[in-house]
Amino acid sequence: MPKSWSIFMSNVKKEKLLSVSNILIMTITFVLLGLLINIVVFSQTALRYLEDQAQVTVFFKDDFTEDKISAMKDGLSKDKRVSALVYVSKEDALRIFREINKDEPVLLESVSASILPASLEVRAGNISNLKPLAEELKVVDGVEEVRYFEDVVSRFKFWSTIVYIVGTLLVLIFLVVSYSVVIAALRTTINSKGVEFEIMKIVGASDDYVKLPLIHQGVFFGLFSSFIASVIMILLGVGVTLANIFPKGLGLGFLPGIFMPPWIFSIILTFILLLSGFLLGYLGSSAAIKKYLNY
Amino acid sequence: MPQIEFINVSKEYDPGKKVLDDVTFKVEPGEFMFVVGPSGAGKSTIIKLLTKEETPEVGDILFNGESILNILKESVPDLRRKIGVVFQDFRLLDSKTVFDNVAVALEVADSSLEEIRSIVPNVLNMVGLTEKMFKYPKQLSGGEKQKVAIARALAHEPDVILADEPTGMIDPDSVDDVLEVLEKINSLGTTILMATHDQEIVNAMKKRVLRIERGQVISDKKGGKYRA
Repeated sequence: MPKSWSIFMSNVKKEKLLSVSNILIMTITFVLLGLLINIVVFSQTALRYLEDQAQVTVFFKDDFTEDKISAMKDGLSKDKRVSALVYVSKEDALRIFREINKDEPVLLESVSASILPASLEVRAGNISNLKPLAEELKVVDGVEEVRYFEDVVSRFKFWSTIVYIVGTLLVLIFLVVSYSVVIAALRTTINSKGVEFEIMKIVGASDDYVKLPLIHQGVFFGLFSSFIASVIMILLGVGVTLANIFPKGLGLGFLPGIFMPPWIFSIILTFILLLSGFLLGYLGSSAAIKKYLNY
Repeated sequence: MPQIEFINVSKEYDPGKKVLDDVTFKVEPGEFMFVVGPSGAGKSTIIKLLTKEETPEVGDILFNGESILNILKESVPDLRRKIGVVFQDFRLLDSKTVFDNVAVALEVADSSLEEIRSIVPNVLNMVGLTEKMFKYPKQLSGGEKQKVAIARALAHEPDVILADEPTGMIDPDSVDDVLEVLEKINSLGTTILMATHDQEIVNAMKKRVLRIERGQVISDKKGGKYRA
């Protein structure tokens, strides 16, 4: 074991309380960082799911025959804005109606396939294409009515974008804050040994002799606390997986249609947290020790 | 060849305020020299320049014939192992025993445990603190603390010992003990450069006296006297 590691281990043993408080502060910092990243990813995933569900439903007049609907469907399938088309015939509509209202026999008796309209469900790859599609379809001959939940989707999109931007900003700000917290925490340890460092330097210690045990200490604190935070985030990921909140997986930023299993996200998040822990520990301790190396 | 040589050295901490102004002197190997002068005269700055805690704006400083101004940062520890420093406030670590306080100087130089176990008792014996080896600084008198600091400075067998007001914080009864130790070390060939403004000590010891006032050398006399 290198001498600097044995010095660092003896420092940790001697200053148990300070070490524990450092690790605690840094763990809380990394847990909050992990939670912020989770909030951003979850909100984006929820938007992706909502976008995926968002559709324009076109109801046809009774005299608009299946052949005409089929021709219209073929035309729409060539439209780049359209991602999926589902035709719901009068018979399909009746089946759905019966399924929904199976506990109300009186209502079922009074409804037949002839009074239900045939419809076409049009899904758009991009949620912003729903409105123009709806406007265009409204004026097509044979179309009785066009429905889509514009307000709900656009409102969610608005708030989700806000969460994304604010969340990303918070993550960045939090990284800066974390850096300051780590420096402050490590500086407490280093300042408590300031006289010792001055004496070491004046009796002929090299910079590395003074610096390396503290760098090891910073890296150890950073990695250990980010590891604890990672375990908590992995448990959260397992909870999300078991609860099946996002059956298709988690969304990837602004990229539509790309989903990843929660365990892959947990690995990525663990990697981000451990890397942050390493870098913050290394850079924080290097910055904190700097003033003692001027002697 | 002089062991220490200051050549037209000027130093200022604030622009326009010179702490040392064109200071020139030489110290031969094995000499015992007092640097005297009132507070703020520049005595401590001379010591800081020699240990490379500070760098002069003008002039050159030679140690064993080589300029210390251009040595690499990596070589500063080697320089400091050839120059032992004793401070007015002892600068001991209260959490370490007398043995461990002295051992620090050897640990930082990657000395082996065997070397530490052999050297530390020897230097403590030289300063007369063998019996207090496992005491803590708080259990020692001011004079004894300063002897521990001297022992620490001796651990590397330095060519020079720089003592910055070493009697400034110890009781009058212990002053003679500390001076006796310094004289003993000097008699074994180590150069001593001691900064002080205590005229009684300077006049009693009858050593070379370099007087500094307002950053300038006022006088430099062997067997000199000092009147504050």
